[in-house]
Amino acid sequence: MKKAKKQEEEFNEELLLKPLPDRKVLAHFHFRSSASLSTSNGGHHHLFPKAISQLVQKFRVKEMELSFTQGRWNYESWGGFDPIPSSNAKPPGVELWAVFDVPQHQIDASWQNLTHTLSGLFCASINFLESTTTYSAPEWSFPPASGNLRYGTLPREAVCTENLTPWLKLLPCRDKAGIAVLLDRPSIYRGFYHSQRLHLTSTGSGSEGMVSGIILEQTLTVVLQPNSQRAGMAYASERHIQPSWSLTSIFGKQVSGTCVLAKSSNVYLLLDRGLVAELEHLHKENEKSAENGFTSQNFWTKPSFELSADPDRIFIEENSLHSKGSSVLYKFQVEKYSESEPFDLSLTWKIPVVWLSQQAPLHASRFLMGSGNERGAIAISLKSTQLSEGFMGANADDERCDLQVNVFQVVPWYVKVYFHSLQVFVNQQPKAISDIIEKIHVSPSKDKVSPGVMEMVLKLPCKVNSAALTIEFDKGFLHIDEYPPDANQGFDIPSAIISFPNFHASMIFLKDDSVNKSPLLSKFQEKSPVMSYTEALLVPLTTPDFSMPYNVITITCTVFALYFGSLLNVLRRRVAEEERFLKEKAAKKTGRLSLLLSKLSAKLRGRQWEPPSSPPASSSFINAKLVFKVILVAGLAVGWQYFFS
Amino acid sequence: MATFINFKALVQLLLLPCLLLCSSIAYNSSSVKATMHTNNWAVLVCTSRFWFNYRHMANTLSLYRTVKRLGIPDERIILMLADDMACNTRNKYPAQVFNNENHRLNLYGDNVEVDYRGYEVTVENFLRVLTGRHETAVPRSKRLLSDEGSHILLYMTGHGGDEFLKFQDSEELQSHDLADAVKQMKEKHRFKELLIMVDTCQAATLFNQLQSPGVLAIGSSMKGENSYSHHLDSDVGVSVVDRFTYYTLAFFERLNIYDNASLSSLFSSYNPSTLMSTAYYRRDLYQRRLEEVPVTNFFGSVMETIHTDAAYKALSRKISDRSESQISLDQSIHREERRMLININVCDEIHDVSTEGQEDDSKCPWSAFYRKMQKIENVDSLVNYGLVAMLPFLVFSTWLFH
Repeated sequence: MKKAKKQEEEFNEELLLKPLPDRKVLAHFHFRSSASLSTSNGGHHHLFPKAISQLVQKFRVKEMELSFTQGRWNYESWGGFDPIPSSNAKPPGVELWAVFDVPQHQIDASWQNLTHTLSGLFCASINFLESTTTYSAPEWSFPPASGNLRYGTLPREAVCTENLTPWLKLLPCRDKAGIAVLLDRPSIYRGFYHSQRLHLTSTGSGSEGMVSGIILEQTLTVVLQPNSQRAGMAYASERHIQPSWSLTSIFGKQVSGTCVLAKSSNVYLLLDRGLVAELEHLHKENEKSAENGFTSQNFWTKPSFELSADPDRIFIEENSLHSKGSSVLYKFQVEKYSESEPFDLSLTWKIPVVWLSQQAPLHASRFLMGSGNERGAIAISLKSTQLSEGFMGANADDERCDLQVNVFQVVPWYVKVYFHSLQVFVNQQPKAISDIIEKIHVSPSKDKVSPGVMEMVLKLPCKVNSAALTIEFDKGFLHIDEYPPDANQGFDIPSAIISFPNFHASMIFLKDDSVNKSPLLSKFQEKSPVMSYTEALLVPLTTPDFSMPYNVITITCTVFALYFGSLLNVLRRRVAEEERFLKEKAAKKTGRLSLLLSKLSAKLRGRQWEPPSSPPASSSFINAKLVFKVILVAGLAVGWQYFFS
Repeated sequence: MATFINFKALVQLLLLPCLLLCSSIAYNSSSVKATMHTNNWAVLVCTSRFWFNYRHMANTLSLYRTVKRLGIPDERIILMLADDMACNTRNKYPAQVFNNENHRLNLYGDNVEVDYRGYEVTVENFLRVLTGRHETAVPRSKRLLSDEGSHILLYMTGHGGDEFLKFQDSEELQSHDLADAVKQMKEKHRFKELLIMVDTCQAATLFNQLQSPGVLAIGSSMKGENSYSHHLDSDVGVSVVDRFTYYTLAFFERLNIYDNASLSSLFSSYNPSTLMSTAYYRRDLYQRRLEEVPVTNFFGSVMETIHTDAAYKALSRKISDRSESQISLDQSIHREERRMLININVCDEIHDVSTEGQEDDSKCPWSAFYRKMQKIENVDSLVNYGLVAMLPFLVFSTWLFH
């Protein structure tokens, strides 16, 4: 019994490397731990992180996915059809969705508590997803469709070392041993794209809805630029040759053995369909000049590139659907290597090769239209990718051929979308909505309560070249306290999700035990719909001028000061007195002689001589004296009070 | 009547110090049990957003590195960073933050844990962390779970001014807010000793309103002074560290967890001419002598070890130890120095309080007079006397100005 339990808990580590057409390298780390949830061990585990199992039990999480992403997956050159982009290309920032196994009315509370817990676990502000304005409940367009699903994104969340640290702490060997040693922080974050994902599934509900097992899948996808060692060489052909790389050149580290707790520890090198087809083509041309024919077996043992280590196995994709070619996978077992003989896979190209990655049926992009701070429109444009046309044509023999496209878009409440203004264009011709949209579900936003959610199923004709959806919106106003400190930067509209339910991103390899044993390869064989994310949009909103109140106060005060100042001046000024004062001054200036003259004239006239000093002045002097006295007494009283209190 | 008043006053005067003494003894005896230094916490706050404030984040991370190196574990450090500099698109060195041009030391390291970041760094959250008033859902890693025996280091850096500190360029923390929060912390027994270290312009003004005992404050500059950055890294493109923090680090880089450098040696290490500002220390609320407090009391986590012969007797032994050590004050050996300090402080406090009442009378005759005046029951007569006394003033003044 105990032995069986121990076997249930297992950990696998895998790394997949893949050259990309634009001289970059994709590294995809895949760690999978699984455990049974039983109370027999008192809730303790050997390998499985306790924090995660507690979280699953506390919030009754059925399925959950959390991703931290920086950069944008380049669907055009890195491909959009393989299992890697459809499940690991994520929108920038944080994306979280979770399915709960609780009654409807408790879901929101569970979600809110979950966000707080995750924010503590992963050193991120995931707790901002707690507010009802940031998350939504998609009904059916989001792939793991279920009524108990909640979905939220934070497009502007920074992703850095502090998020990776707790993520690594969930691994039994952390980054001290095994493949995770390669995760050197500066080289990862120097990459063009990195997405760190955590996927939780609790399997098989036993009695009373208690979960019996959890599978934790941690993946890290990085797109790195290898330092080209031949950059200095100036051959014309060298320019087309793909850069050669090794683990040390892209990560600065090498693998010196497995994590001893891991059940399997493998490194894979994947050559995608386009590349394989191109290589086969080149090989054939070479062989034409030579005499001997080739079998596929010896072709792969003498390829046009060199690997530093011999692969332990080569898998070739079983390809019945696509005529393009089948991808090839080289497997390396890390357990063969040790401290003294570290594993450092390197790939050196011998001939220049140019290829294209396989695209999703339609390339989706989203942009803003309109100008000004009042209104605008969001447009989603879908463009047919030339590559996929071939095999789509194969499917489209019959007359009615439809391409189904699901669109899921969440808009924050301050972008007030008018759903009636939805317009559809197919091949640049406006179409009636009912012709194209098969199913639509809209939940309009409520101010400061909930975001606007739009789910649509489009049925496009197979031979469509381009399609576009536009919808108009008004920009709302936030309360002054709700503006973030850098409001001038604009506000984000999270990425929309475009999925193609008729297409499945899967790679089926020859049925074999070793394929089933590898979680990464069995993941590849799962039939998941092709998915892509559009860009996140940046909407400039009217931001309050925070210095405006200050300006208003200053200007008002100036105006008031001027007004009252002049008014008081007018009221207080006594014109007559001033004239007399001037006269007196003038008299003083004339001196003694004039004074005597005036005295004399007064005496001559028989009147009493009046001194120039005016009697009202003396009265005001008396007033001043009175005022002074009052002030003095008051001051004394105040002093008295002050001293004794 | 007069003698009666005197007698009453005398009794009261005698009673007052007695009461104070009793209450202070009661207070001290209650706090004596709690004065055991139990753990160390650090709250490190960078309040500035935007790339050009790189140096503030480097300041905070330098302190983070120092306290981690000196033994405070990550779960007892609350790190608040208002922006993401390490993975900022403008950063030429992703996932790395440097506080020196030579780039020898990556402050961001491999396992940094940031508890509050970005928009979460607000005055509200800061005060919530200090006072411990969180929503129930907030995880433990975001809380300051200190107790009455905790030593807390509170480090803040950003842009400040006269009695305020800016948060994210949109909010302000005022000196009153800080003092209020500290007062609440004291009331809630959330710390034993608190060291507030602030590296902003006019940092000293932020401490003006502090009143709670056990608080020690260091600021990088006095009122009217600026805190300057130390140097510019032309590779990163911005100034990478502030002077005050740079020299603080220079002091700490020489130390390890076993060093016994005192707080006063830290304080005296600041040279106004190199800082280009005057470092300010407020120590009037702090009871212990700075010469005898090792810096690791705040910047590290060095616990006092108590040897016990048997289980469950630790407390009683400790108390008896105390009375013994009080007698043999002079011959205290180095190991017991810290425990002795507590005793000295307790004595000092009691002494201070007991002399307070007498000092009142001898040094301040005015207050004695005031107290007598208070005793006079006939208020009306007092008022009348006052009016009569005012009359000559009035007469004098009218005569003077007539």
